[in-house]
Amino acid sequence: MQSRESTGRAALMAVAALVGMVWTGAASAHHSFAMFDSDHQVKVTGTVTRFDWTNPHIYLFVTGGEAGKDAKPMLIEGASPGILNRIGWKFNMVKAGDKVTMVIAPLRSGEPGGLLKEIKLSDGRVFNNGGFAGPSQISLKDEK
Amino acid sequence: MNARIRGAVAAACAAVTLAALPALAAAPAKVGPVPKVEGVFFSGTWEDPFPQEVLRDPNAPPVQRNTQPPVPFNDKAKAEMAARRAKLAQSKPTELQGGAACMPGGFPGMMGPVFPLEVLQSPGQVTIVAEAFSQIRRIYLNEKQLAFEDAEPYFWGHSVGHWEGNTLVVNTIGLKDSIRIGGGPHSDKLQVNERMTVTSPDTWEDQITVIDPEYLTGPWTYTIKYVRRKDYKINEYVCEDNRLYLDPATGQQKLRLGE
Repeated sequence: MQSRESTGRAALMAVAALVGMVWTGAASAHHSFAMFDSDHQVKVTGTVTRFDWTNPHIYLFVTGGEAGKDAKPMLIEGASPGILNRIGWKFNMVKAGDKVTMVIAPLRSGEPGGLLKEIKLSDGRVFNNGGFAGPSQISLKDEK
Repeated sequence: MNARIRGAVAAACAAVTLAALPALAAAPAKVGPVPKVEGVFFSGTWEDPFPQEVLRDPNAPPVQRNTQPPVPFNDKAKAEMAARRAKLAQSKPTELQGGAACMPGGFPGMMGPVFPLEVLQSPGQVTIVAEAFSQIRRIYLNEKQLAFEDAEPYFWGHSVGHWEGNTLVVNTIGLKDSIRIGGGPHSDKLQVNERMTVTSPDTWEDQITVIDPEYLTGPWTYTIKYVRRKDYKINEYVCEDNRLYLDPATGQQKLRLGE
């Protein structure tokens, strides 16, 4: 049996080995995060057109983009509902029509999408995207 | 008793019997209290003391996470893994597999615990539910383990256990070939022995020992610690759609972007 997932897992294991430990078998990786560029995160603003609260990931469909660039339809991936529930999210806290600001790790392919790092809702509340997605390079908490 | 009276009595008896039949059929089954549940109490919801799914403050002091020693693969296992890697490097995958295809990780990986676990104790059985992929394993108490040749390969195997003081001793066999052990292969002689020790009302640990005479040079043992989460209710988890597909040109995973 072969899969991209196993390459992703192998990469994960390599990272784990570097820090002196290997944790195998516990991974619930649905895919490698290698498709997202977490080293070059960007801030995007836009309007939600659809919000999918599903496993293994939630998805935000947003028409928007970085400041000064044309707005276009984007797909933003979030963690799973279970992870997000425990860090304060709620299944109905985002609705079509909401304006949101997000920090994302863009797709390396250049396609309009990315992995969510942090989101600011129209009511000002800020949420992260759990431990697997990792920290945001830009804080949305302090900005207006 | 004359013939007419005998006939009338017989008819009456038959009528009574016929009338009684449905009543008998509907007689309530014997019910009673739940039989005694053996062992020490560890039902409830549990998680990693430092759950990986929660983003930690990068400035917080480092924590001691559950760790595993290297898997003692033998030469046969190493050769098969090398061949698999070489094949993977050359070929272009055409189908999503494993978690990417929404398949559950199976045992012992489900003991992770990547997401919380729920332990349910009932008479003669301990059931462990993993939130991730709604995985379930049933441990039958005080039963004889199956023979290897009778153990149909399962994602979570076939588990039997018994209590020794505060420790539930569990043996599991019969895992599907697709379940990787520490990233490596396993044979149908694989056994996983667990010592689930309840260390306090709100903590337990699972010492897991993997034995496979065909692929390991010796036992592979590691321990997972759990802490109770009183306020947590397990979320449902159906792997509905991960919006992944393989790019036919490259074999790489891609996200399906449109609505």
